[in-house]
Amino acid sequence: MENLKLRMNTMKQLFSALAFFAFLTSVAQKEPVEVDGGYKVEIKTSAICEMCQYALEKDLAFEKGVKEATLNLDDKVMSITYNPKKTDPQTLRQRITLVGYHADTLARNPIAYDKLPMCCKDGSHGTPIPQMPLKAKDGN
Amino acid sequence: MKNILFNIILVLLSLTVQSQTVRGMVADQNHEPLIGATVMELGTQNGIVTGVNGDFVLKLSSRDSKLVVSYSGFLADTVNADLSQMMHIMLKENTEELDEVVVQASSTFMDDLESKHIEVITEAELTKAACCNLSESFETNASVDVSFTDAVSGAKTIRMLGLDGRYVQINRENVPNVRGLSGRYGLSYVPGTWVQSIDVGKGAGTVVNGFESMTGQINVELKKPENSEKLYLNGYVNSFGRLELNANHARNISDQWSTALLLHTNYFNNEVDQNDDGFMDIPKGRQINVMNRYKYQGEKMVSQIGLTVMRDEKAGGQLGFDFGDDFLSSPQYGFANQTTRAEIFGKTGLLFPNKPYKGWGFIYSASYLDIDAGFGRDNYQGTEKTLYGNVIFQNIIGNSFHQYKTGVSILYDDFDEVYADSAFSRQEIVPGLYYEYTFAPGDKFTMLLGARSDFHNLYGTYFTPRLHTRYQFSENTIVRAAIGRGYRTPNTIVENSNILVSSRRLIIEEAPDPEVSWNMGGSMTTSILIRDKKLNLIADYFYTRFENQLIYDMDQNSSELRVYNLRGDSYAHSFQLEGNYQFSDRLSAKAAYKFYDVRATINGEVRQVPFNSRDRFFLNTSYATRFDKWEADATLQWFGSKRLPDTSDKPAEFQRDSTTPDFILLNAQISRGFRWGNIYLGSENLLGFTQDNPIIDAQNPFDDNFDASIVWAPVAGRMVYAGFRYKIKR
Repeated sequence: MENLKLRMNTMKQLFSALAFFAFLTSVAQKEPVEVDGGYKVEIKTSAICEMCQYALEKDLAFEKGVKEATLNLDDKVMSITYNPKKTDPQTLRQRITLVGYHADTLARNPIAYDKLPMCCKDGSHGTPIPQMPLKAKDGN
Repeated sequence: MKNILFNIILVLLSLTVQSQTVRGMVADQNHEPLIGATVMELGTQNGIVTGVNGDFVLKLSSRDSKLVVSYSGFLADTVNADLSQMMHIMLKENTEELDEVVVQASSTFMDDLESKHIEVITEAELTKAACCNLSESFETNASVDVSFTDAVSGAKTIRMLGLDGRYVQINRENVPNVRGLSGRYGLSYVPGTWVQSIDVGKGAGTVVNGFESMTGQINVELKKPENSEKLYLNGYVNSFGRLELNANHARNISDQWSTALLLHTNYFNNEVDQNDDGFMDIPKGRQINVMNRYKYQGEKMVSQIGLTVMRDEKAGGQLGFDFGDDFLSSPQYGFANQTTRAEIFGKTGLLFPNKPYKGWGFIYSASYLDIDAGFGRDNYQGTEKTLYGNVIFQNIIGNSFHQYKTGVSILYDDFDEVYADSAFSRQEIVPGLYYEYTFAPGDKFTMLLGARSDFHNLYGTYFTPRLHTRYQFSENTIVRAAIGRGYRTPNTIVENSNILVSSRRLIIEEAPDPEVSWNMGGSMTTSILIRDKKLNLIADYFYTRFENQLIYDMDQNSSELRVYNLRGDSYAHSFQLEGNYQFSDRLSAKAAYKFYDVRATINGEVRQVPFNSRDRFFLNTSYATRFDKWEADATLQWFGSKRLPDTSDKPAEFQRDSTTPDFILLNAQISRGFRWGNIYLGSENLLGFTQDNPIIDAQNPFDDNFDASIVWAPVAGRMVYAGFRYKIKR
């Protein structure tokens, strides 16, 4: 059992690394554009589902200088309108990584990622999970 | 696994819940749990959102119900509920279009499935009235009225159905709590930051919790060890100078054990006398209140135990009277109250993992209360020792159409009281047994029939029948009806401590008999769509009739308080019409009109009970931006005219009108959210309405005309407060 867990963990890590590389290749960092009420930047994230959307939008809503933050779940791109005097795109990307998601070329904070709900983790909505899905939660 | 078990346990332990509960988890085709999926019972508004494991527990109105399961981006599915096992529901991804489901959490809601008329006040609602303890927790709720007791002690009590709060059974996690000698101040011994949610039930309650709910049942759930914030800090200060600090901490000790530590302290040492009558408008006060609780969660057993200790001191009366002063010899008229309370409480449940409808529960509490008080030259000492135990068994008969709960309970209550130079002692031993049967043949109809017999060592056998029915006419319209009997033993001195701050002589004409009442009534809830938004309407009517009531007669003679058993009729009609409407995602409003006709035979004549507004109006509006970054709330209450006790035999300058004018109170609050919590700024009695000259002959408090008990409106004016809440989640 322990052995299996260990193997699963290794696989998880491997998968995670692979996922990030795959993620990187799909990313081209966009420059902010001027819009009504400030600047707007689009940041590609590793969000997956509504849970992720909620977490990201909620967190950014409380970020200094942010006027509006919405995540498009189709392309996982977060559009943030901000006040350029109070913040800048790199700060916002860093903030997204602290919620637990990749942001353009910045890798997510692993501690924050660990705390994410299961459906926001790599492979959710895609890869099989163990037959006893309830047991799988015990480690978290 | 833990979470699922926890949910099962919750259901078994929350004793008002019926056992028709379905459990399961929602996953996608790859067995990945779907978190935040909506599970609704078909044809009702009853539903729940799945938890972090995709798990859910839903109380159903019928065993044959269908569940509608939906999740954004997935095809919604309708499945038959299976109560016999954990359901695994898989949703197919919807590749065509994203079908967004918006789940809006409301801060107060009616429990649609419950056969009793129950309103649930959540923590979100509680934070709309930021101060300070349970007595203020109902400010944004229309069904519970706050009442003004006297101009000296600062006690706040509640009223329901037009009758005094002593007829409401107030439980803390199903243990009778605010009762006996703590009946008058007990609400202020439950700090607001400890409260997780409050159930407000109108009319007779379930027999499982005893015979005392005469006009209603309020159950307060406190912060739980297993799911509360790791750290919760709250600081509060108001313009009168009151300070409050609250700190909660909760953590898991192991997989099975968790603990929570709840701390509260308040301090108020200013002399506020806005009306210049020489009396403090609010007494000085200080309190330390601690609770430590533990929870064990096993496969087949769940157990909780807790300990709480409280010390509360108040000093009021004329300016200059301080903590520790001797009211018997002080030149000032002094009000003092030192209360110590300690309690050990807990519950244990035995579970049958394969039979979720079956379970054993044991609830217990042992408490000690000591009051050392003084009112002018009169002293009062009271000690109460209480033991309470309740063993509950629940199961089904054949299938879950027929469910029952049965059990035995014991109440031991030992009172020792001294008032002036009289001593009272009373020892109550009340074993009882009960049976409650629920007939739930479908999701349309539920009937709950309960009865209990209690064998009171002093007053003989109490027989308490209760009947609740619920019928769902259509998707949106539910009608409920209930009837039940209730009993309680009055505590003459404590319940009149407001009248003790007067020169009235207390004349107890005869030995008080237990109070007995019948309550019957019903409610209708319905909703209509107006511009795509639901207008929810709730109308209820309740009638309370006393077989016996202890009458506190202030009318016969303005220098006496006469206490005697009811000689004639006493009844209360209560009607309430409430509507709430969500104008937009941000703005919602709630309005209520209340009519109370409360009459009793006082001094040989059936007349309106004093201090009760026949008509009341209530309006609450809430505005919140996304994620509650900004929140604004306002509650307006209009109180119609009240009758006052007769003062016509006093000298002309000390007489009061026989009725009061009507008046308006307004409370408002704004708060700003942050990642770590929020800060808030608010005001109570924003319009600053106060009663003129609340104290009769305040200059001569030791003379015959002094009376600080004729209080019908706030004594203190506008108060502004500010505070913060800091939370660290787990």
